[in-house]
Amino acid sequence: MDINFKISFVLLLFSISISTIYAQQTEPKSFDITGVIEDQNGDPISEATITASTLKHNYKTQSDSEGFYQLRNLEAGVLLLEIRKGNFIAHHQIAVNSKNFEHNISINTSGNELGEVHLQAESFKNKMEKKGFALNVVETAEASIRNIQTNELLNTTVGVKIRQNGGLGSRAEYSLNGLSGSAVRIFIDGIPISTFGSSYNLNSIPPSMIERIEVYKGVVPGHLADDALGGAINIVLNKQSSESINASLSYGSFNTFQANVNGLYRFDNSGFTVKASAFHNYSDNDYEVSGRSVVVTGLGGQQTPITARRFNDAYRSTGGTVQLGYTDVNWADQFFVGFTGSDDYKEVQHGAFMTIMPYEGRFLESDATLANLTYQKQDLLTTGLDVNVTGYYGKRNRQVNDTVPWAHSWSGERAIDFRGNNYKYTWGSQQEGGPTLAKINRNVASMRTGLAYAINNNHKILANHVYSGIDREDSDELQSVLENTFLGTRDLHKNILSLTYELNAFDDRLKTNLFGKYYQQKSKSVDPEIEINPDGSRQIVDDVVSSNKKYEGYGFAASYELSPTITLLASAEKAVRLPNETEIFGNDGDNVVANASINPEQSNNYNLGLKLGTFNFKKHQFNVSTNLFTRNIKDRIGLPIETSLNVDEELIVYVNQGSGTSKGIDAQLGYNYNNNFGLNFNVSRFDLKIENRGVEIDVPNTPFFTMNGNLRYSFKDLIQKNSRLNLFYTLYFTDEFSYLVPQGSNTVGDEFFKVPQQLAQDLGLSYTFPNQNFVMSFDVKNIFDKPVYDNLSVQKPGRAFYLKLNYSINKF
Amino acid sequence: MKREFFSIKTLAAIALATGLLASCSSDDTPIDNGQEPGENEDGRWITVAAARMGENPGDGNGGTLIYSVSSKDAKDPTVSIEPFDNGFIVPSNRTARLQSSEDGSTIFNISYAGDTGGNYTKYNVNGGQDFEQTGSEISIAPYVGSAPRWIKLFDGDQTGAAVYVDTENQFDDNDNYLRTEATMGVVTLDLQNSAILEFQESSLSLSEELETQGYYIGRIDMPTLNAAGDKLYIGARMSKVDPETGETDRNGEVLGSKTIVLDYPSLENPTIITSEVGKGNTNGYRSINAFLVNGSVYQANQGDPNGSHILKIGANNQYDDSYVFNLDEALGLEDAYILAWRPTASGKAVVAYRHAGSAEGVAGAQGYFALVDLESRTAQKIDEIPYSEDFYLFQYQGFVVDGDEIYVTEAPVGENGNIYVIDTETGEVTKGAELVNAEGSHFIGLF
Repeated sequence: MDINFKISFVLLLFSISISTIYAQQTEPKSFDITGVIEDQNGDPISEATITASTLKHNYKTQSDSEGFYQLRNLEAGVLLLEIRKGNFIAHHQIAVNSKNFEHNISINTSGNELGEVHLQAESFKNKMEKKGFALNVVETAEASIRNIQTNELLNTTVGVKIRQNGGLGSRAEYSLNGLSGSAVRIFIDGIPISTFGSSYNLNSIPPSMIERIEVYKGVVPGHLADDALGGAINIVLNKQSSESINASLSYGSFNTFQANVNGLYRFDNSGFTVKASAFHNYSDNDYEVSGRSVVVTGLGGQQTPITARRFNDAYRSTGGTVQLGYTDVNWADQFFVGFTGSDDYKEVQHGAFMTIMPYEGRFLESDATLANLTYQKQDLLTTGLDVNVTGYYGKRNRQVNDTVPWAHSWSGERAIDFRGNNYKYTWGSQQEGGPTLAKINRNVASMRTGLAYAINNNHKILANHVYSGIDREDSDELQSVLENTFLGTRDLHKNILSLTYELNAFDDRLKTNLFGKYYQQKSKSVDPEIEINPDGSRQIVDDVVSSNKKYEGYGFAASYELSPTITLLASAEKAVRLPNETEIFGNDGDNVVANASINPEQSNNYNLGLKLGTFNFKKHQFNVSTNLFTRNIKDRIGLPIETSLNVDEELIVYVNQGSGTSKGIDAQLGYNYNNNFGLNFNVSRFDLKIENRGVEIDVPNTPFFTMNGNLRYSFKDLIQKNSRLNLFYTLYFTDEFSYLVPQGSNTVGDEFFKVPQQLAQDLGLSYTFPNQNFVMSFDVKNIFDKPVYDNLSVQKPGRAFYLKLNYSINKF
Repeated sequence: MKREFFSIKTLAAIALATGLLASCSSDDTPIDNGQEPGENEDGRWITVAAARMGENPGDGNGGTLIYSVSSKDAKDPTVSIEPFDNGFIVPSNRTARLQSSEDGSTIFNISYAGDTGGNYTKYNVNGGQDFEQTGSEISIAPYVGSAPRWIKLFDGDQTGAAVYVDTENQFDDNDNYLRTEATMGVVTLDLQNSAILEFQESSLSLSEELETQGYYIGRIDMPTLNAAGDKLYIGARMSKVDPETGETDRNGEVLGSKTIVLDYPSLENPTIITSEVGKGNTNGYRSINAFLVNGSVYQANQGDPNGSHILKIGANNQYDDSYVFNLDEALGLEDAYILAWRPTASGKAVVAYRHAGSAEGVAGAQGYFALVDLESRTAQKIDEIPYSEDFYLFQYQGFVVDGDEIYVTEAPVGENGNIYVIDTETGEVTKGAELVNAEGSHFIGLF
């Protein structure tokens, strides 16, 4: 796909006669190119990324403070050089035979002046975003050297809202254009995040391990097919095949320590490649909280409000991946087998809300051990046939630990009762429901296979299959052998097939993508039961219930380039969300019984977008984009209301009930001046309604209006020559929203249920030392120490300071 | 070039963002300054309680709203009451369980679930939407959890009581099921001075025969004081496990109705009494289920295979099995189920019920009101009140008793209705003020 683009680009470049350099011909098989990159004034350009592409390979490097760059071990042939610096991109084409040579590049960063050899080209991000899908590509390059968590980065993306129940490592919920929970599917390299569990997720994986994040809103392309009702978030881990080592250390408020390292080494002769990455995160999360539930209770139950530090909220996660294999060999572009392991520990300070009874000693542990496999090859067997396989297989486990019966107060000490004595909760644990050591062990497997065949430059067919399977077994050490024996097991196996047809026409101005998806979900529940034989003897038999459901979905995405700066985008999908195991089989513990005839949730999703830009005027660059969307959901799955008929039966069953709609608009704009100053701003607003039995209501507890903005400014040579200082400012705005449905016009007492309007601001700086290998970043989050909340009365961290050191070598 | 950081465009963008923020100001609702706290020259205050729809019609999860009028206005059919538009939203994440002082001048609330679940608050009733919070906040959550089942005792508005039960299956060394331990927690609360009075935990045992079969007390609610004021009765619901698997057994036989009897105010020495007359549960739902009338406690039961009974617990703190009052028989119906009820001091009562012939309305079974005489054990459906198919009383909580008169609300889910006043001595029914409803919502009574 990428290569096809590059081929056409090469042809295009030929046609407008780019400066072409021929080197002299000699024998060696590989050679180096060196040179200096300068701007129109002859000033060296540092930190520019230079990518040299042949039909098969990519070579990547960065210019140093002198503008010097070096590309090593290239193969002979036609090379397309992409020179990238901020939003500026230029392309040079060089055709070379095998000899080391010098190639100095002069680029003009000042705009559309005549007679220049550079071409203002689109970034990868822009190119992807112009394919027709309502897609945001989140680039991680800048965030990875700053003190920014992956979730924070994603949260500033237009149309995305992340709601976290506390500090680092706390449970997060993702919302795309108003749809959240199981309507949003999250993937790592196309593999469902449920394969990895909570130890290897957006809380633990640092941005530096991520190449980019793709956010598909409402319409999900065939190659990421899953039962995603409201969209999908795909985390693409680092894919580069050039040798490098990156390491970073960060320390800051709340005893937060984060480290990560990743590297790649390739043996040039054999193509044997070793790739490894590791991360470690720790935070006490002991930030200050106050509010109506942060009190200490004295004699008789009298309450005194205090400002408390959270004391049972620490988080640790550790993990990594090692992959061994071959890159850029004739039988594979990438072939890796490897191992992914991760482990986390999260203390739980409170439940869904902050109450006057903070938890002490409740914690969750999870781990994952997975084998992985990657295979990628372009032009397999025949030109235009690409194959792509990613698979994970292994185990993941999760345990809840809650055995402390003693009540604690927000002071962190044991609480006293109305008589003045320390006391134990009647329920014998921190969370109501009793002591638990509940453990869930899962065997997980997931494999995604993609085949793409480009018939020619205009027609392409893609087939994709994803399998994911989970075998789940529950146990609790605090329960008897008998009770554990009769706990059921649940297996869930999903197969999703998709077929995509891509058509590009009118000189690539029209891009269309038609896809169909076929979903199959097999699930099985096994509940041991006692059976009485005809002779009166008893035996334990398994009561096995299976369900096999099949559904179809389809959709399209199209874009049309009216002019190089005006693109129209439209996409639509009939999306499906399959019922999960609890919805099908129920849950004994919650008295939910099986409903084998439950239907999936369905939604007709539509997006209409417009992209304007990038406009260049002298040193100014400007772009705007917007997307209008609607989501029309039917057969929503939920629990019916409690009535006098079911209250005593203690039995409830999930049913399909009612419909829902989400309608809204996303917009963003970007402005750049001379590659030194950048401004980005986005706004997202929607209405989310559900309808049950003919009555429509606005869904409460939904932040429906958000804005994010950020400014960046770069200084060159400010402190040391050849150094660079970047300053950053970020603003987050979330409008007031209520936990309750909208009330009447003149009611009082509404404030109790409101999450107030919030405005948080961050400042940051990063300093690149003259040798270009070393970057130091300092960030202040929430500079004005404003109370921020994602959920009613659950306060998030206030002002915090973080320092980070990054070291990277891009070539050995 | 570097000065561009503070360019006009930048400042304009910041100004724009600031302007957008400033324009989203909160609207302050004016509060009516009514009369003196708690006083009302037109008879007592009548507080209307309404439950807004959350996600499903009739679920009442969208907020509990209260609005007060004088008893004179409550009886006036030309008066229109709009709690959904003008009411005070009671601070409770799920439907609040409200109580009021006997004269209606104070509303007591314990927040149910959410961040303040278990918080006790009281309000002076000043009329309209003006509920003035008084006293300090305290919480009973540490004793009985954040979703407490509480009731105000009939002791002159002095005391509230809340209960909790925690259960755990017990096994012998060979992993054979022995019994299920049910630990009861009872807390009493000084409503006037906002303080915890007493808390006790005790183990609830059944007979060995029942325990080996897997029976245990799985839910308790509705504490009621006896006439002597020395015993507290607590309603109970039985649950059962299958001793062979340790799993919930939903097919167990329905046992005789049970009540826990405790010493008061020490909250010690629990014993369990069993009715020979009624079967099923005595823990009610959200409305008070047992009342002291003429020296005896009368208690409704639910889930009785023979239809709800009103049971009697005599002055000796035992069920009086000579008192047999079956609603099926009294009304000539099948599967009559008491959803809520309230007697006057003289032993007449209004009962909210549904039965086998109830239509399945938008939110569940159609409800009705009956006028009941505890003495003669007779019941008569109150025909003067309209009963729409969507008239639903499952969450009904509040009746106002003013002498011989009982006030109730009537409104089908999502439709307007009225207050009705029943003269329990004459049987006369007066249509009172109009209740303006909101979509999918309903009224849960008067306080």
